[in-house]
Amino acid sequence: MNQALVTGLNGLSYAFILFLLAAGFSLTFGVMGVLNLSHGALFVFGTYVGLQVIDSLSYFWLAIILSAAALAVVGFLLYYVCLKRLYNRVPEQAVLTIGLSYVIANVVLWIWGPRAQIAQTPEIFAGALKIGALSFPIYRVFICGVGLLVLGLLWWIQDRTRWGAIIRAGMDNKEMTVSLGVNYGLVSTLVFILGIALAGVAGVLGAPILGVYPSMGDNLILLSLIVVVVGGTGYIQGTMLGALVIGLVDTFGKAYIPDAAMFFAYIIFLAILLVRPSGLVGRKVF
Amino acid sequence: MRRERRSLVEVGLPVLVIAVLVLVLPLFIPAFVSSLVTKMMIYGLFGMSLNIIWGYAGIPSFGHAAFFGAGAYAAGILILRVGVSNFWLNMLLALVATAIIAAILGVPAFRVFGVGAGAANPIYFLLATIAFGELLSRLAIALRPVTGGSTGLSGIPEPDLGLGFEMTSGRYYYLVFVMLAVCIYIMYRIVNSHYGYALRGIHDNERRMQALGYNTWLYKYTSWIVAAVFGGVAGVLFAYYGGTLVPNNLAMVTSDIAFLLVIMGSTTTFFGPLVASVVYVGVEYLASLYLPDRWPLIFGFMFVLTIMFMPDGLGVWILRGWRRLIRGAAA
Amino acid sequence: MAPLLETRDVSVHFGGLAALSDVSFGIEPGERLALIGPNGAGKTTLFNVLTGQLRPSAGEVFFRDRDITHASVFARTHMGLARSFQITSLFPQQTVKVNALIALQGTKRRRYHPFRYLMKDKEMQAAAQELLEAHGLWDLREATVSALAYGLQRKLEIALSLASDPELLLLDEPSCGLTTTESAEITTLIKRLGSKITVLMIAHDMDLVFGVADRVILLHYGKIMCEGTCEEIRANQLVRDIYMGSRHAGPGLGKR
Repeated sequence: MNQALVTGLNGLSYAFILFLLAAGFSLTFGVMGVLNLSHGALFVFGTYVGLQVIDSLSYFWLAIILSAAALAVVGFLLYYVCLKRLYNRVPEQAVLTIGLSYVIANVVLWIWGPRAQIAQTPEIFAGALKIGALSFPIYRVFICGVGLLVLGLLWWIQDRTRWGAIIRAGMDNKEMTVSLGVNYGLVSTLVFILGIALAGVAGVLGAPILGVYPSMGDNLILLSLIVVVVGGTGYIQGTMLGALVIGLVDTFGKAYIPDAAMFFAYIIFLAILLVRPSGLVGRKVF
Repeated sequence: MRRERRSLVEVGLPVLVIAVLVLVLPLFIPAFVSSLVTKMMIYGLFGMSLNIIWGYAGIPSFGHAAFFGAGAYAAGILILRVGVSNFWLNMLLALVATAIIAAILGVPAFRVFGVGAGAANPIYFLLATIAFGELLSRLAIALRPVTGGSTGLSGIPEPDLGLGFEMTSGRYYYLVFVMLAVCIYIMYRIVNSHYGYALRGIHDNERRMQALGYNTWLYKYTSWIVAAVFGGVAGVLFAYYGGTLVPNNLAMVTSDIAFLLVIMGSTTTFFGPLVASVVYVGVEYLASLYLPDRWPLIFGFMFVLTIMFMPDGLGVWILRGWRRLIRGAAA
Repeated sequence: MAPLLETRDVSVHFGGLAALSDVSFGIEPGERLALIGPNGAGKTTLFNVLTGQLRPSAGEVFFRDRDITHASVFARTHMGLARSFQITSLFPQQTVKVNALIALQGTKRRRYHPFRYLMKDKEMQAAAQELLEAHGLWDLREATVSALAYGLQRKLEIALSLASDPELLLLDEPSCGLTTTESAEITTLIKRLGSKITVLMIAHDMDLVFGVADRVILLHYGKIMCEGTCEEIRANQLVRDIYMGSRHAGPGLGKR
C-alpha cells in the first residue's frame, strides 16, 4: 500500500511531464491543425540546451528559461519558414516535420555526442518529504506543482481570455474568424511558440527523471501522440486526462508487471481508437 | 498525369528499355553495384506499394513498415523457427500473415478515417498508423524466443526455389527483378481497373463516391490490405537480401523511408517511388562511404527539401521531360 | 398511389437546437416537388436525412414503402435515390470522362473488379459518351474538371447525379451561383427529364421553382409551414412574409 502511494506520486510526476510535453503538440494540432512531428526532437534539443546551461552556469531556473527561449526561437523559425506555407496540408506537414526531427536529432548528436547525459536533481529540491513512514522525493512533488500551475494557466487562457475565445472560434471556423477582423495569425503563431516553449520547460524538468539521450525524441513523440489521441484534441483538460491515464498506467505497469508494461499504453490507445475515436474529452469527430 | 491516355510509346517503350537494361546490367557492373540495384528494386516496390493507398486512394499511411516488417519477419520466422525452406511457400505464407495483420489493424485505423456526417480527421489516422508500426516493433522486441528480441533474426539463408539450382546473390538479383516485374504488372492492372478508378474517386471526393453508390469504407479497407501485401512482398525479399532482421524494420525509421520514396517520387505517378528509390539508395550508399555519421541529417534534409522545393516529386519531372522529348521528336 | 418517398415525423436535434421538427411529407412518383425556405430553415438538413448522411433524432424515412431510416448513403443510391450537391462536388483532378465513368459504375457490380481496365471497357465507354453527350459535355471529355468553368461544373454535377439512373433525384440548389442564362438551361434540363424520374429539389431561384415544380413545400424553422401548387404558393401571404421578405432583405446568415 505504501509502495503504491510512492508509485502513485512517481506516476503523477511522470504524467505532468507528459502533459507539458504533449500540451504543445496538442495545442498546435488541435487548435491550429498543424501537425508538428518534430516536437519530440525539439524537446530533446531544449533539454540539451538546458543541461548545457546547468553545466556551465549551474543555474536551474535560468536553464528552464533559456531552454524555453531557445525552443521559442526555433519554433518561430519553423513556423515562418516551413509550416506556414503548408496550411491545411497535413500529410505534407507530417513529412516535413519528420524529416526535421531526423535533422534535429543528428545535430544534437553532433554537438553533444552520443552518450546519455546524467542530469542531477537540483540541490534545492534534493531530499524527500516524509509523511509518517512514507517518503516522497521533493523534486517529484515540485514537478507536480509546476504541472498544475501550467495546467491552470492554460485552462484559464482557454476559457477565460480573449485569446481563448479567438482560438476556439478559429477551431470552429477559421475563415469566419479571420474575416471578423481578429488577428488570428498572430494569436496562432503565439500559441505555436508557446507550445514549443513548454516542451523546453518539460525537458529541463524531466531530465533527472527521464534521462537524456539524443534519440529519445522518437519515443517522446509517440508518447505525445498517444496522450493526445487518448485524451482528445482541442481541449487542455483532454491532454491532461490523457497524460494522467498514460503516465499512471505506464508507471504502475513498470512497477508491477515490467514485462508487459510497454504495451499498456498501446492497448489503451487502440481501445480508445475503437470505442471513442474522438478521445476521452475531445470534440466529436463523427 | 494519370488521366492522359498512355500510348505504347510513352509508357511501354521506356519500361521495356529499362527492363532490358536492368537485366543485362549485372554483366557489366561489379557485384556490389548489382547488390545496390537489388536494394533499389526492393525499396522501389516498398514505395510503390505505399503509393497504392497514398497516391491513388489518398490515404496517408505513416506506418507502412508494419507490413514490410511483418512480411520480412514472417519469412524469417518461417525459415529459421518453423523450417520452411521453399521460397515460394515461404512467400505465400508470409503474405497471408501480412494480410491478416493488415486486416486486423485496418479495423481501428478506418474507424477513425471515415467520411461520415462529420468531418474526416486524417490526423488521427496518421497518428494511428505511426503507432501501429511502433506497436509491432515492440512486439518483435518482446517476443524474444520467436523474433530474437532486440537483436532480431540473423542467418537467413539464400532462398531455395525448388528448381534444383544453388542460389547466389548474383542470381538473387534476377529473382528480385522477376518478383518486381510481376508485382508491377499486378499493381498496374489494379490501379487502372474499375476498382483502381474508384480509389482515385475516393482520393478526390469520398462523399460524392458514397452518394454514387460506393461503399467507400470497403474500398479503403481492402486497398489498405492490398498495399500491405505488396509491402509484404518487399519485406520478404528484403529478409533474404540482407539475411538479418531487426525490430527497426517494423518501426517508424523504416516507414519513413517508404513515404520519403512516395513524396520524393511523387504521389501522382505510378513509377515515381521506383525512381526515388534509385536516388535514395544511391545517396544512402554515398553517405555510408563519406559521411556515415551525418546520414540521419542527410536523410532528414531529403524530406525537407522535397517538401519545400519539389512538392510534385521526381516522377512528375521525369514524365514531363519525357513527354516533351517525344513530342519534340514527333513534331 | 403510394408515395415514392415519405417521411414520418422526422426530427433532427443538434445539441439543444431543433433543426427539423416533425417533418412529414410524401412525394408521388413522377412528381416535381420543390423545397423552399429561408437560409437555416433546415432544407439541407432534411436532404441529408433523406440521403442518409444524417440519422434523424426521431421519425422514419420510407422509400417505396421500405423503411430506409438507417440505410447507408450508398445503399440508398442502389435503391434508386440520387442526389446533387449545392457546393459542387466532383472529382477535380480527373477528366470529365473519368468523372462520368466513376459515376456510371457506382451502381454496377463491376465497380469492384480489380483487374479489368476501366478504360478498355467498351460498354462503360459507350455509356459515358451517352451521358456526356446528353449534357453537352462530350467535347470536353479530356479536360480536367478543376479547370472547367463553373457553369460547366454545375452541369457535370447534375450529369453525375443522373448516372445511376435514379428513380428519385434530389437536387440541392441546382442553379446555385449560375447566371440567368445558365439557370434557364438547368430549368430546361430538369423539365426534359422523363416522367420516370421523380424530382425533389431545394431551390432559391423562383424562376426555377415556378418553372418546374408541380408542388412546393415551404420550410421555416425546421417545420413545414405550408405546401401547395405554384399558384397557391405565389398567392400565399405567409410565403410572402417569411420567404420573399427575407430574400429581399439581403443575404441571410451563412449556411452550415
